Amino acid sequence: MEIGQTARTTQVWPWISTVARLGLAAVWLVAGGLKVGDLAASGRAVNAYQIFPYEIAKVIGAAQPFLEIALGLLLLAGLAVRLSAGISAALLMIFIAGIVSAWVRGLQIDCGCFSTGGQLGAGVRPAYGWDIARDLGFLVLAGILLWRPRTRYSIDGILMGDDQ
Amino acid sequence: MSKSTKERAQAKRIVQEQLARERRRTVTLWTTVGVVTLLVLAGLIGWAAVASQDKGTSGKLTVPPTAVDDGTAFARGSGPVIIDIYEDFMCPACHQFETGAGPTLTQLVDAGKVTVRYHPIAILDRYSSTEYSTRSAGASAAAAEGGKFLEYHDALYANQPPENSAGLDDAKLIELGKSVGLTDQAFADAIKNKTYTAWATKVTDTASARGVTGTPTVMVAGKKLDNPTPEALSAAVGAAGA
Repeated sequence: MEIGQTARTTQVWPWISTVARLGLAAVWLVAGGLKVGDLAASGRAVNAYQIFPYEIAKVIGAAQPFLEIALGLLLLAGLAVRLSAGISAALLMIFIAGIVSAWVRGLQIDCGCFSTGGQLGAGVRPAYGWDIARDLGFLVLAGILLWRPRTRYSIDGILMGDDQ
Repeated sequence: MSKSTKERAQAKRIVQEQLARERRRTVTLWTTVGVVTLLVLAGLIGWAAVASQDKGTSGKLTVPPTAVDDGTAFARGSGPVIIDIYEDFMCPACHQFETGAGPTLTQLVDAGKVTVRYHPIAILDRYSSTEYSTRSAGASAAAAEGGKFLEYHDALYANQPPENSAGLDDAKLIELGKSVGLTDQAFADAIKNKTYTAWATKVTDTASARGVTGTPTVMVAGKKLDNPTPEALSAAVGAAGA
């Protein structure tokens, strides 16, 4: 009975991880895809956090969408899943820290998570709480993959010689 | 006999496991190298894209000769206290600000107390399908060259298109110019040829470098007003010594 349970869990985890992997891939592809069309606006969204000087914010804002899309493609293909998940987790923690700092300083900005962000108009309340909760949700996906990086339909699996 | 077979099978399994482990290690190493390279490349692509954009626009830059403040604004009045207004012609909050504080600004200018510097920036291009923010900012520069910046500025706000629309087309921008007396061909040509598009980007970039992250941003004597009501404006001008 005990052994049966363990065997079943071992079989189920790759599927859970696969769902997490594809979910996180979608998150990055959408986030990057929505920003890649207007890199100048992406730079201004980073600038709106008022953490970096504009010249540096511009470079971060330009590089970020490409980085997000690359991570999304890696996760979609299932290549180096643990590493990609680790980098995803690190990025998400940086984003959460950025939102918290904007919140604490009372800035009135859109987080620029799935858009090119910027300052909010008069009377629009920032949704920092929701933004953070959402990023924490994505962090859970990354955590699952860090812990159990073996997934179905992945390049990792083929390279490692797993049974697919 | 059977024992040795078992031992041999065991030894074989151990060797196989070792080989599998080695394979995993090699695969992990090379995929890691590949992934890091890919991510660095992705970042560099973004950087290169922005660097080439900057180079591309600076080549075509036409700064309107009447522009002040490093060629990024149009001045109204000549009073001692400087009011900097950063606005986007697509921004509804700017329209509200203009409606609410416009008379106060006119009063302050007429009393010789202030110089208002209008910075037409373009940060809301995503709210129209035709980059109306940039096009209208460029059109306002063309109007300034025709000596009608303020009149055209007011006409643009009076005819502000809604967010997430196509914005006003070039024909409408030219027509609005005519309505305020910009009837010459030079104005129409500047709009059709996008003469001041690169300039609008430069004004926006300069504003961002100065920490302007939204519109309207109103600064009195260099200090940002958090809530630019007419009262706050008058009070700040008074405090700045006029």
